[in-house]
Amino acid sequence: MGKISVYRFLSAGCNGCDVEILECLVPRYKLADLDVEVVERPEEANVLILTGGVNIKGKEELLKIYEAINPPRIVIAVGNCALTKEIFDKGYPMVGPPDQLIPVNYYVPGCPPRPQAIVKAVADILGVKIEETEDYWLAPEGFRGKHEFDSEKCMGCGACAQICTADAIDVIDGPDKRIIRVNYGHCSFCAFCQDECPTQALRLTREYHLLTSDRQTARVANEVNLVGCSVCGGVFFPQKQIDWALKRIVEEKVPAYKDFSSDILSAMMICTKCRREIGSIKRAKKLLANLSERARKL
Amino acid sequence: MPETVYIGPYRPQLVEPERFELLVEGNRIIDAKLELGYMHRGIEKLFTTRTYMQNLALAERICGICSGIHTLCYAQTVERLMGIDVPERAKYLRCIYMELERLHSHYLWFGILAHSLHEHEAFLKIMGERERVQDLLEYLTGNRMNYLINTIGGVRRDIRPEKAEKIRRILKDLKPLSDYIMSLLDDNGAFTKKTKGVGVLPRDRALDVGAVGPTLRGSGIASDIRKEDPYAAYDKLDFEVIVERDGDVRAKALVRARETYESMKIIEQALDNLPPGDIAVKPSEPRVGEEVGRTEAPRGELVYYIRSNGTNIPERVKVRTPSYANNFAILEMLRGERLENARTVIESIDPCFACTDRVTIVDAKTGRRRIITLK
Ligand code: SF4
Ligand code: SF4
Repeated sequence: MGKISVYRFLSAGCNGCDVEILECLVPRYKLADLDVEVVERPEEANVLILTGGVNIKGKEELLKIYEAINPPRIVIAVGNCALTKEIFDKGYPMVGPPDQLIPVNYYVPGCPPRPQAIVKAVADILGVKIEETEDYWLAPEGFRGKHEFDSEKCMGCGACAQICTADAIDVIDGPDKRIIRVNYGHCSFCAFCQDECPTQALRLTREYHLLTSDRQTARVANEVNLVGCSVCGGVFFPQKQIDWALKRIVEEKVPAYKDFSSDILSAMMICTKCRREIGSIKRAKKLLANLSERARKL
Repeated sequence: MPETVYIGPYRPQLVEPERFELLVEGNRIIDAKLELGYMHRGIEKLFTTRTYMQNLALAERICGICSGIHTLCYAQTVERLMGIDVPERAKYLRCIYMELERLHSHYLWFGILAHSLHEHEAFLKIMGERERVQDLLEYLTGNRMNYLINTIGGVRRDIRPEKAEKIRRILKDLKPLSDYIMSLLDDNGAFTKKTKGVGVLPRDRALDVGAVGPTLRGSGIASDIRKEDPYAAYDKLDFEVIVERDGDVRAKALVRARETYESMKIIEQALDNLPPGDIAVKPSEPRVGEEVGRTEAPRGELVYYIRSNGTNIPERVKVRTPSYANNFAILEMLRGERLENARTVIESIDPCFACTDRVTIVDAKTGRRRIITLK
């Protein structure tokens, strides 16, 4: 499309993305090689780069600016605020994300995306390749990028969803499966989920080039099997989590309980509703009495 | 006849979109008003819907540029509510991370200043060299900005000897950048010519409007929370509070330029004296009550107020950011200034990416519009 002239618009973000966009102008990122310029007026631009989740005050301005950009307009949403409002999702003045207000063509996930990610996104959109010989094109060890599940290890407990700082992880229960889904387009990349996961199943990788034209695809998911309650048959719990918990009790915490493994397991296989029934309570009481007697003997 | 000039929110584009309404006579600004809200996200309300831990990520997103100091100020205030003592090693590490942040923030400020003064070469050089700090922060914390390195009870990542070595190496590489910036602020420097005598904020007016940070120190007042109300390990580290007397944009620039050397000094000392031990302790339950905490952010004093009802979700969090305090200083500096200097004045306090250099003048009487160019 010839020369790319970019106008930048921000409403209701943290400035982080804007600094990274500015940083793209530095020679080492080779944006100038792509024949891209940043212009000062929307009337001079054919590309609009958006950051921030847009609040009620920014909305009017955004609509005006979008109209002023020269068609065919290409609109790129940079940073998770511009994808999904991210951590500010439930903020009362927020009216975005921007694609609810104007058409958006591309999304660059990140919080903020590295300048490398922004430049690579622009290059991809233009269909050109940039030389990536220097070290800084690679994210360093310990970088907090796109998530990865170890499906062997993930037991579906949902601890990651509980701690998540940006409501980015959904726990979706189906008839016999549970899906743990990380929406990395809604994520603050805090890595609390990685720290919190009891089995080290969830990891943030060094992958940072996450450009997409459909923000619904900015997701990573894992599936685990659910088991039914041994009394009523209702689906209630991930099988792997039950196995993990039992193992922890009898192998790590109190090895002496090993003799009661099968009793403990059958107690665990009862859903919370059925646990309240008289028979279950009686059985549970008996089990607890046995366990505490065993503990006393130690 | 006085005319009204609007600057922002998007024309010219300020990094935090704000709208300035200037009353202008001839070429002089006689009055200035400020309208905020384009960045409003309802953060203080959001704070009361999440746990203390989750709020760390929210606090740092108040401002992506000084994100680290927000988490520190927040964490320190929560630690007081929880009655936690942070390990000594963590206190030193906090100083290292926060001074790296001051470095990148100050360099960024110079990049923006160069941009607004149309010093393109200086802009590219400063922003290019600044990448060394960003690479380093990414290597140490896992992200270039919003690095969430502070947590309640300490820090999240340690600095082992090989990382310490890398920090020292990069500080050495950064010294020439600070020297270069100092040369731009020499008597004949490119920055000096365009900023000397511009946007003067006299000492007594700086106090009256409640300016903080380099804006206040540029008006001759030695105020720095790191010295007045020391936190982390600042009471054990030797550094100087930089003061300049002239109160103009150049003085504020000089304060920042000289502070970069102090930051390097602090980091080197902290690395030399890094005590052994843990980097964090576990958070506990907060007591019912309230606490106020403050820190010296790159732009000045940052204040957090937190009220707890004993649950794991705060009842009220109030944040007073330095830029908010300094906005009133901008208005003060604009009054009496020449119109063409307006942008430099605004940017001397808050970074601004000024994507357009034009403003619209609306004739106060007739409502007629004309476009002028800001230099
Ligand atoms: S996506 Fe992250 S870095 Fe970008 S504006 Fe939003 S909070 Fe800031
Ligand atoms: S890194 Fe994990 S915990 Fe943090 S916001 Fe993203 S999904 Fe949530």
